[in-house]
Amino acid sequence: MHIMEGFLPLYWAVIWWIIALPSLIFGIYQLKKILEADREALPLLGVTGGFIFILSSLKLPSVTGSCSHPTGTGLSAICFGPWITSVICAIVLLFQSLFLAHGGLSVLGANIVSMGIVGPLAGYIVYRALRDTRLNMYLVVFLACALADLFTYFTTSLELALAYPAEVGGIASSFVLFMGIFAVTQVPLAIVEGVVLALVFKYIVQLKPDILLRLKVFPEEKIRAARSEA
Amino acid sequence: MYEEFLEDIAQTNGLRGVNTYLKLIAGIGAILLCLLSTSYIPPLFIASVLSMAILYLARIELRTYGELFIVPFSFAVMSVVVIVLLSGGGEVYWSWNPLPWFSLSITSESINEGFFVFCRVIGGMSGLIFIAVTTPMTDLFVVMKQFRIPEVVLDLAMIIYRSIFMIMEQLKQTYQAQVMRLGYGSFRESIQSFATMCGSVFIASWESGEDLIRAMDARCYSGKFAILGETRPVEFLPVLAVAVFLILSSLVVVISRNITLIGAGP
Repeated sequence: MHIMEGFLPLYWAVIWWIIALPSLIFGIYQLKKILEADREALPLLGVTGGFIFILSSLKLPSVTGSCSHPTGTGLSAICFGPWITSVICAIVLLFQSLFLAHGGLSVLGANIVSMGIVGPLAGYIVYRALRDTRLNMYLVVFLACALADLFTYFTTSLELALAYPAEVGGIASSFVLFMGIFAVTQVPLAIVEGVVLALVFKYIVQLKPDILLRLKVFPEEKIRAARSEA
Repeated sequence: MYEEFLEDIAQTNGLRGVNTYLKLIAGIGAILLCLLSTSYIPPLFIASVLSMAILYLARIELRTYGELFIVPFSFAVMSVVVIVLLSGGGEVYWSWNPLPWFSLSITSESINEGFFVFCRVIGGMSGLIFIAVTTPMTDLFVVMKQFRIPEVVLDLAMIIYRSIFMIMEQLKQTYQAQVMRLGYGSFRESIQSFATMCGSVFIASWESGEDLIRAMDARCYSGKFAILGETRPVEFLPVLAVAVFLILSSLVVVISRNITLIGAGP
């Protein structure tokens, strides 16, 4: 879910830019380090960015009938970590605003915070916490991707609530109302996206597991076990 | 299923030959003025001027332009409803207090606020769409390079840009093949087909990424891309037009600063 151009007042747009910048800079620093170590990573990162963009320009078969877009950030966070995902996301969000007129330029900072930083970070934390447990691998991917999506939507609601607090009850009650009104599309979307990305992951495990082994997404035994099951 | 890219339109629009900086100043200036304004009039003024420019100067079809507003409109309407219900002040038309910390009301001030935000979204979106349909990404890469955006980011952005079109082509083929085999008949099936499509496209694009690095290595890739940008001349008429537009809009912002929808202020 993107905030549209012109929706946030100027000072909030600036504040979110200021919050987004440190993690972008850290992401760029990490990106440089990775590319120095392994030059071949650049095209692969680029392709992932393209993939996220395409995924987010597709209309998911949605339950509510509205046009919902998957974010795809969960998968990238699992594969490359949250900080590099935030750089990729910033580029993708810029392209989205200029290719599809989704989002905007002044609100780009706010959208980077919600879709590029908080969402992937939440997904990554879930993935790291559950990776080495005995939980089914696909379930872990589902949870990470669905939660990345849900946290993106929580953060967007918070951004909206902070900019437009309620007269009675202030930020808290406007947060609740914004969440409620967007829950109609966002909650089913998060579940569908989690299912889709878990299936995508399963497909990759079956056909090209060397990608996942190279990125050390899951331990080798686990992937091998999943392959022999199928 | 998939959306049309504005990039295709931008590559052939009527304002393609105008200097990139001028177009960016007009678009970003419009967005900033919308954010600085305190009344609903300047955003509407900016939106109408830019819409004229988009339709007549850049020669974008009305239908294409209208469709771009569907998503922002639905977002704006949903959020503006929340703003109208939550904010208060002025004359109260309707109110409901189910809980001590939660109350909904429609007042003259809240309608003013909601309408103002709605207009600001329309104004801002017209500025954004103006940049999107008149300035192709390839021109923006040149600008980004001049602004010293870190090279890593720029390289990554260019590869993403390139792979978008590559992946899109693959996706279209897969999607058509699936539709012809009735892959989207029921909800369950469409989830399955959609996931298979994404998975196969991810693998295919991964492989094309590996091909890309091999091809670039064979051509002495040193970790840096050369950007060959065309410089577009700065002409008198466009400069005048942008200057007049921005000055007029600023005047509207200043003059209309106290005007609201209901009960215009002093």
